[in-house]
Amino acid sequence: MYDFVVIGSGIVGSFAAWELSKYQLKVALLEKESDLANGQTIANSGIIHSGHDPKEDTLKARLCVRGNELYRKYQEELSIPLRKTGAFVVAHDEDDLETLNSLKKRAHYNGVKEAFILSKEEALQEEPNLRDDLVGVLSLPTTMVTFPWEVCFNLLENASANGLEVFLNNEVINIKKVDNYYLIKTNETEFKTKGIINAAGVFSDEVAKMIETDLPFHIIPKRGEYFVLDHSVDGYLKRVLYPLPSKKSKGVLLTPQTHGNILVGPNAEVISDKTDVSTTQEGLNFVKNEAMKQAKNIPFDANIRTFAGVRASSNYEDFYLKESLSNPKVYHLGGVDSPGLTAAPAIAEYLIKMIAGKYPLIKKTNYQKFIKKSKPFKELTTKEKSELINRKPLHGNIICKCEMVTEQEIIASINSPVGSDTIKGIKKRTRAGAGVCQGGYCESLVLKIIAREKHKKMTEINYYEKGTPILKKETKE
Amino acid sequence: MKKDLVVIGGGAAGMMAAISASNVDVLLVERDNKLGGILNICVHNGFGLQYFKEELTGPEFASRLESELKETNVEVMLETSVIEIKKNGERFLVVITSKEGLKEVDAKAVILTSGSYERTAGGIALVGKRLNGIHTAGSAQRYLNSDGYLVGKDVFILGSGDIGLIMARRMTLEGAKVHGVAEIMPAPNGLTRNIVQCLDDFNIPLYLSHTVTNVVGDKNVEKVVISEVDINFNPIKGTEKEFNVDTLLLSVGLIPEINLLDDFKMALNKTKSASVNQNYQTSIEGLFVAGNALHIHDLVDYVVLEAKKASQCALAFLREADKKEREERKIISGTNIGYTVPNLVDYNNLEDSFEVYFRTAKKAERAKIVIKQDDKVIKEVKKRYVQPAEMNKVILKAEELIKNREITILMEVL
Amino acid sequence: MEKTLICIRCPIGCTLTYKDGIITGNKCKRGIEYGLEEVTNPKRIITSTVKTTNKEMPRLSVKTNISIPKGLMFKIMKEINKVIVSSSKEIGDVIISNILNTGANLIATQNLSY
Repeated sequence: MYDFVVIGSGIVGSFAAWELSKYQLKVALLEKESDLANGQTIANSGIIHSGHDPKEDTLKARLCVRGNELYRKYQEELSIPLRKTGAFVVAHDEDDLETLNSLKKRAHYNGVKEAFILSKEEALQEEPNLRDDLVGVLSLPTTMVTFPWEVCFNLLENASANGLEVFLNNEVINIKKVDNYYLIKTNETEFKTKGIINAAGVFSDEVAKMIETDLPFHIIPKRGEYFVLDHSVDGYLKRVLYPLPSKKSKGVLLTPQTHGNILVGPNAEVISDKTDVSTTQEGLNFVKNEAMKQAKNIPFDANIRTFAGVRASSNYEDFYLKESLSNPKVYHLGGVDSPGLTAAPAIAEYLIKMIAGKYPLIKKTNYQKFIKKSKPFKELTTKEKSELINRKPLHGNIICKCEMVTEQEIIASINSPVGSDTIKGIKKRTRAGAGVCQGGYCESLVLKIIAREKHKKMTEINYYEKGTPILKKETKE
Repeated sequence: MKKDLVVIGGGAAGMMAAISASNVDVLLVERDNKLGGILNICVHNGFGLQYFKEELTGPEFASRLESELKETNVEVMLETSVIEIKKNGERFLVVITSKEGLKEVDAKAVILTSGSYERTAGGIALVGKRLNGIHTAGSAQRYLNSDGYLVGKDVFILGSGDIGLIMARRMTLEGAKVHGVAEIMPAPNGLTRNIVQCLDDFNIPLYLSHTVTNVVGDKNVEKVVISEVDINFNPIKGTEKEFNVDTLLLSVGLIPEINLLDDFKMALNKTKSASVNQNYQTSIEGLFVAGNALHIHDLVDYVVLEAKKASQCALAFLREADKKEREERKIISGTNIGYTVPNLVDYNNLEDSFEVYFRTAKKAERAKIVIKQDDKVIKEVKKRYVQPAEMNKVILKAEELIKNREITILMEVL
Repeated sequence: MEKTLICIRCPIGCTLTYKDGIITGNKCKRGIEYGLEEVTNPKRIITSTVKTTNKEMPRLSVKTNISIPKGLMFKIMKEINKVIVSSSKEIGDVIISNILNTGANLIATQNLSY
């Protein structure tokens, strides 16, 4: 019997599970995919917003600003990668200057500590690659960028060390209320639990439907497509560039990433199939054209990847964070689209407050702090690299030349408690294959290392999900 | 560790650069456990006709160079990666790592012969889901020829460059079914010999003026959709053709691998590599580039000749005796010229003559290569059967040129 | 029988026509040689790999030392696939002698040391 089952291992579910693991509770985390953080969390801009955009007096506004604070608070404790980029909201029309001002007012109202207008000249001084036809910008220095799934891995590693049980490949298909507990049926097994945290992202309405007769919200899936530019373009932009939605365009963002890449996108297209993460010609063309209205000389020839994500927008317009009316101890964290990533730690904090308000929560006495991650090999000084290789010689074996990932790092991420034995899983954790050649050189090396560490045949190593072997057949059998 | 010259990358270019400079103290660094680079996985024929006057397979060509290298005093480090090139006053510190540890090699000159990598799905902004079963032709080649595995049983190939054509044959001979090859241009990219011996021999259809417009499947590739394209390379609605395959191989071009130059923030040439002058020297004194790391070659024979020349330039640099301060001017790719290597000429360190390699931007049966300076025609060279897929060259003599003026090279169709 | 084919002996790539034993369309003598052989008795050099027992080098590259009739390609691949190399080899070593009675040997094109 679990005290709580968390459904979904995205950033919201991960922060929720992490908070719960601080208390004397038996908690399980169910993830329907074959790896952690596979939905929205793996396909967004990575921005920790300042809080200038959400409507006043909404949960989105409050928890966005609080989330921004919490990421800073937890940065050291959880080895959270944070790039303190700041942001510009760019206005291209004289009419838009008023909108810029109201955004500034909103930012101040929402509690954003720093938000001020800069002139065209000042803006171009700071960001020479802005388009010359801008009229002014709103500067938001508290905006940051993180690497979302890395945050999830650290959260869940810490939570696992404190008793959290993680179940991958478990899709919730049925929830039944039985006396004083809930019976959750997945495609693999059953879980008995006193409480449920629904953090199922785009599927949070479907999970809610399994137990609620009246559904308070439904998800409107919105797909967004992106370009990923190689880290060799690092320096092209210092800040996140937000468009100002105007009569002319909806606009797309340009976002410098923690590893030096730049993301260009997303667009927003309502779709019917929640799992359709295909990129499209029309979508990518739209993104490209809109981006070129924001910045000049965008280095699109350094594009190494395109991807799409599906957001859990909802008809509810704010975050739906409530305990079920008819099912006690069932909490729905629904409709969490932007600024969900930013708000996630604050949503978890809010959740704990909701729970503690009604039910006793006792902190663990033997709580284990997160074992801080050392910097990636690539970011060490030459001296530090040398010392590390002397201690662990397999750090001297560079497997991914584009992102400078060592054999030791790959082995560690295979064997970690939140590790992986798939090509994409290793890429998510180590960056091997995320560079300019996209694994052209290192994939076969990573595959061999996985096969060796896991005592598997080469043909058993999957690209990602179950049943996606890279190598179909040995020749000359 | 102190060396006169460090050569980075032990493929064809690197081995020849090291061999040619072997009278000074040379270190050759190679990340693989053997020398040869991609030659080792090119089990097919066609190498060496120009250089060795013999038709060899890739591994045989590599072996010839290796034997020559063994006769020299060049120090070779295998399973060693170069992670950084740092400028150290007038010298360099080349940071290398292996299981044995990290070393900073103090070198006077560096030749970068790090080869190339393949353009990826992201590089062509391929739409659709990122499914399992999409590979570059070269990585499928490595799995097949080096490790002995097929990445798929039913294959479609995008790109009619030689790698794609070679893989069409290899996969077929090893038991896969290749359903077709799509080429976005109206003419095939690879050698005619390969069209005949890799496609026609096996009745593999070639769809010219077609490109892949969708890749469909749940988690694995299940279907590839191609469409015809118009003169602007935009897909024409209604021309879709579907193929039920589990694999899409991409043979859409090679790109010089120069990430070790990222920190120098050099301006890049049209070849996506560093700008170099006729001495194969970059804007950084003592830093040279040659081979596929400089521009993508069609024949390894020319890679070897280029590496030899670059090495000789590095030796001249090391000798220092007659080195003068540079006086560089641009070599401009004019009408109908895709790119030139070099794209700079250093007039103060100019020998009697130098070669300019180039690719035309279009095909022509009869053409005139015109070299101009200040709108004056300096030289004209007639050429027959020029095409972008075949690298070409002109020789410029120092005495023909107007000193310290830009050079423009263009092609006129006759 | 009339047949059209492209000569591959040089970059020009003349379009050849074979009719009643005569080749036309060639710009040089090599075109005639190539055309006649390619129509009446097309031959190919096979390049491939063979399996080895060596963990570091599970495949060894090989080729036929002379060209073999095109129609025998897949039969020859079958023979190649039966080979398992379990000792050191040098470039030029014969792996299969007189493969399928064609007079061609399958030789190693890579060095393998155990």
